[in-house]
Amino acid sequence: MSAKPKIVLFQCQWCLFAPADQEWVDQRLPQHIHLTKTPCTGRINPLFLLNAVQGGADGIMICGCLPEQCHFKTGNIAARRQLEEFGDFLDSLGYDQKRIRFVWLDLQDRGVIQRELAAFEAELEAIGPTTHLATRVESVQGGAHA
Amino acid sequence: MPDLAGIKAEAKRLLREGIVEVVLAFKASDSPLHPQPAFFRSEDEIDQLIYNGLCANNLARYLTRLPKQTKLAVVARGCETRSVNALIVEAQKKREDLFLIGVPCEGIIDWRKIIGHAGENSQLEAENEDQVRVRAGDSIFSLARADLLHESCRRCVHRNPISADIVIGEPVQEQGPENQEDFVNGFRAKTLEERYRYFQQEAERCIRCYACREACPMCYCAECFVDHIAPRWTESGATPAGTQGWHIVRAFHQAGRCTSCGACERACPMDIKMTWMTEKLNRDMREKYNFECGMDAQTKPPFATVTLDDKQRFTAGGSH
Repeated sequence: MSAKPKIVLFQCQWCLFAPADQEWVDQRLPQHIHLTKTPCTGRINPLFLLNAVQGGADGIMICGCLPEQCHFKTGNIAARRQLEEFGDFLDSLGYDQKRIRFVWLDLQDRGVIQRELAAFEAELEAIGPTTHLATRVESVQGGAHA
Repeated sequence: MPDLAGIKAEAKRLLREGIVEVVLAFKASDSPLHPQPAFFRSEDEIDQLIYNGLCANNLARYLTRLPKQTKLAVVARGCETRSVNALIVEAQKKREDLFLIGVPCEGIIDWRKIIGHAGENSQLEAENEDQVRVRAGDSIFSLARADLLHESCRRCVHRNPISADIVIGEPVQEQGPENQEDFVNGFRAKTLEERYRYFQQEAERCIRCYACREACPMCYCAECFVDHIAPRWTESGATPAGTQGWHIVRAFHQAGRCTSCGACERACPMDIKMTWMTEKLNRDMREKYNFECGMDAQTKPPFATVTLDDKQRFTAGGSH
């Protein structure tokens, strides 16, 4: 595979406690990784994931805080069942479940996000790109659909 | 065979004694194979009430269409009582405002299959749990009911009403979960490629009429996500992304709320198979959370509960 897999990273803004990690994600993320920062994993609607999938993402990574470490007490708990099931559901429609990965970060973790992203990327490269469910038409200028 | 006289007598009594203001049931429509849902507000209107195997709608759908305090009686089959329970859990109606006239159900007959066997202009003459007699012009067809059942009724495991105030007619034999299991397992056994192709073929016929949404008792959102203008969540036309997005989110919004009544599939003018998606979600709910929607009026669906019981879903620095 020549081109790098397209990855969409959903990041809870509280989970990267180390400034160096957060700085890396904010400023030095590779080109093929698209960052969407959310106030909490609880804010991530399954529609966000669907949007990424339909827009042609090869993989989606969701990173958030461990239970009992959520900034909003229960946001991550409200999110995880739903998002996990959504991944499972998309699998039954032909979008491989391995392409959606969760990373739950401890506040003490340092440098984990880089490692996880690299591992995820290697795995996606091994499975290869996908066109399943990637049906959205790029908007051309003027807002009309091509 | 449902006891129509019994249903009518009970409906009349409820209206006469002022226990309810409206009785929700079916009446004959212009088309003989499509009885239509109707609101009966007086005793004389009850004479038009009918009930047969062709009554395809889920009447629980209309609970949310009337003012919330309306005292209501519903002629309810197994799936309808479960949908009613699910709506009570979601605080859409109070149980005290409802009177459920339970009817054990022998399965809904698919009108498309009748037409397939007997041709257009068919009329239902008589039915029992094994046989259905259909008249088309001068000829009479005697058909096996099992061949005519709607797919979701064939898989049904709760044919008898649950939590009804009164049950009219003898309880029917419940079916085992085999059909349901086989159905979901059949899809699970397919490869990723086959599953996507199947989904693509089903979704591309969609004309975005939203009949499935209108038929569903649980689709009562004041504004559906597809009707949002800003932000626009999916493409609004009948494009591949639009139709696939609609079917994915419609089904996923039913996770833990769907009672597998199949009203969505029966309502579809394009005959799109969509219960396989909700069946898959229902089965996950049963397997992972031991939850079955609508079995009582208290238990909240898994996605609505915040609990740390399944903490193992989080592992530091790892997937799942």
